[in-house]
Amino acid sequence: MKVKLFIMVIASISLLSGQTPTAEQIVDRVTTIMSPESSYSKGSQTIITSSGKERVFQFESWAAEKGKSSLTRYSKPAAIRGQAFLMLNNADDIWSYFPRTKRVRKLASHAKKQKMQGSDFTYEDMGGGDVFQKKFVSSILLEETRNEELVWKIEMIGIPDQEPPYPKIIMWVRQSDYYPLALDYYNDKDFNTKSLVMSDIQIIEDYPTAMTMVMTDNKERSSTTMRTLEITYAWQPPKGFFSERNLKK
Amino acid sequence: MKYWGLFILLPCLLLAQPEFFGYFESEASTMQIGTSNYNYGFNKFRLDVEARPNDHILIGANITAQQYWGQTTWNMLDFIPEEIWTPFFPPDPLSSQAYSPAFPITIPDTLFLDNVYMKISLSSLDVTVGRQQISKGVGYAWNPTDIFNSKSLLDPSYEQTGVEGLRFDYTLAYTASVSVFIQPEQEWEQSAKQGWLKVNLGSFDIELTKASHNWGYPTFLTGPYLQNRSLLGASVVGEVLGFGTWFEGSSFQTDSPLATGGDEEWKEFIVGVDYTFENSLYILGEYLHNDLGVADKSELTLWDYLGALDGASHSLMQDYAFFYAMHPTFDFVTLSAIAFTNFNDNSGAFSPIVDWNILQDANLSVQGSFFWGEDDTEFGLQDWGLTLTATSSF
Repeated sequence: MKVKLFIMVIASISLLSGQTPTAEQIVDRVTTIMSPESSYSKGSQTIITSSGKERVFQFESWAAEKGKSSLTRYSKPAAIRGQAFLMLNNADDIWSYFPRTKRVRKLASHAKKQKMQGSDFTYEDMGGGDVFQKKFVSSILLEETRNEELVWKIEMIGIPDQEPPYPKIIMWVRQSDYYPLALDYYNDKDFNTKSLVMSDIQIIEDYPTAMTMVMTDNKERSSTTMRTLEITYAWQPPKGFFSERNLKK
Repeated sequence: MKYWGLFILLPCLLLAQPEFFGYFESEASTMQIGTSNYNYGFNKFRLDVEARPNDHILIGANITAQQYWGQTTWNMLDFIPEEIWTPFFPPDPLSSQAYSPAFPITIPDTLFLDNVYMKISLSSLDVTVGRQQISKGVGYAWNPTDIFNSKSLLDPSYEQTGVEGLRFDYTLAYTASVSVFIQPEQEWEQSAKQGWLKVNLGSFDIELTKASHNWGYPTFLTGPYLQNRSLLGASVVGEVLGFGTWFEGSSFQTDSPLATGGDEEWKEFIVGVDYTFENSLYILGEYLHNDLGVADKSELTLWDYLGALDGASHSLMQDYAFFYAMHPTFDFVTLSAIAFTNFNDNSGAFSPIVDWNILQDANLSVQGSFFWGEDDTEFGLQDWGLTLTATSSF
């Protein structure tokens, strides 16, 4: 409730005062809205390749500490049933579990850039937390209308010392509630490698939530649609939930 | 008595709204050894059942049916250099028939219960009773701390069979746990016992383990020779200079060194490194040193070969390297390659693999294997092989 109140107060003050917030303030509020204290969700992930082939995955996901800790367990397709990933410290530490071999493997940080189950999302993309605040310097490029919504177009330049996941990100943030509608990710040659679009944004337990997210790989012409089938922010992690023990359950 | 757990757990499984899943796998292979060509394969069906009567109990079992075709009776001497086995199979000077000794092993069709277990989870304690998979160690190709399994270098990540026993896992803190596994035999002294302490320190996972077990060392002529072994081991996995790195090693001791050529103590360790490039190319390398292996090819005996084939030693000789590379090259098609070499006899193999996720729940893979080395070496004995595997999961 405190978080909800904080979001509403900040948003209201800003809008009522009529002053344009700074880019840092916008990114702070985006981070707050996008990082609920904890969550539990069920979702599906549909990968469509450039040749139109499709694969559908289903998973359950748990997150806590504003996305700093998360656990994802796949239930479909059958070949990967029970495969699970534990991510701690904003995906700096990743463990994977393979039920067929009953083996837990710790992945090194370079694995963060790997595609998660062949999708267009990397492990790093799935990590939450304060990455935008700590690893980027932000500035407002312009205000415009996107899908009939008034938005800020924010440019975020990665701070090299902080090892940002991407050298540059452009983010469109809805002015009405500070919810991001789209992100473009750039590589070090300033090529827009991937684009993420949020849609079907619903208010779930006072948090705006994109029920559909589509990540498009602009180079490989593939896309991954992540649909939220069920979600609650009221879930509280039991003691020791984000552990290797629970990864294997 | 072997499947005692089945009679206890099966009724519980059926009453607890079980989930059924599994896979069908069909494999066809051809292999060239010298002038002989062998065609063989199998059809395998595995049915898994899992039930959770409540939040604290998990009951699991799987039944595997495996039917073999083609070459099902193998002459083990085809896989051992002639000069190694000749002293044990002298030609009969009175016989007029061609000299063709054989040590045949037939692989029968099987229908078996691979795992059947119940896991009870309390606040900080998990107790697993029954036949269960035990996969120890952080190594990819070899696991010096694993006393229950051995791996195939051409497919190190294939599932392991179950081990009957009782396992306790106690969580000490978020980042530490202690575990004990006991594989009971008729006498306590003969039972395999392994305990391990696992701790996460920063970006490193550290594990210390102690075990004792009896190894049925094959003696070929007089039946297995039980050798009691104790093991003190450790493993570390983490990141150094941006590379994934790991170490796993064990120090073994035995008070009955007859089967190990008089060795009362020996050490075995692996070091490994992996890296994923921005273009998703994944590479892995591992090095094994095993004191129990033989350093010089001229000192190899039939017992060394039988011990390595049986899994009593994790390797035939002392020093090996293993490499693996994998890249998701096309839509749902992964290209990968395995290479391994025996530094002591300069033999090895290269094995390219194409894995195609042809449909949502179906995979097709083709694996070639090309061996190098002299004819009297561990891998040079074989020439080439080709395996086609189709798998469908449900």
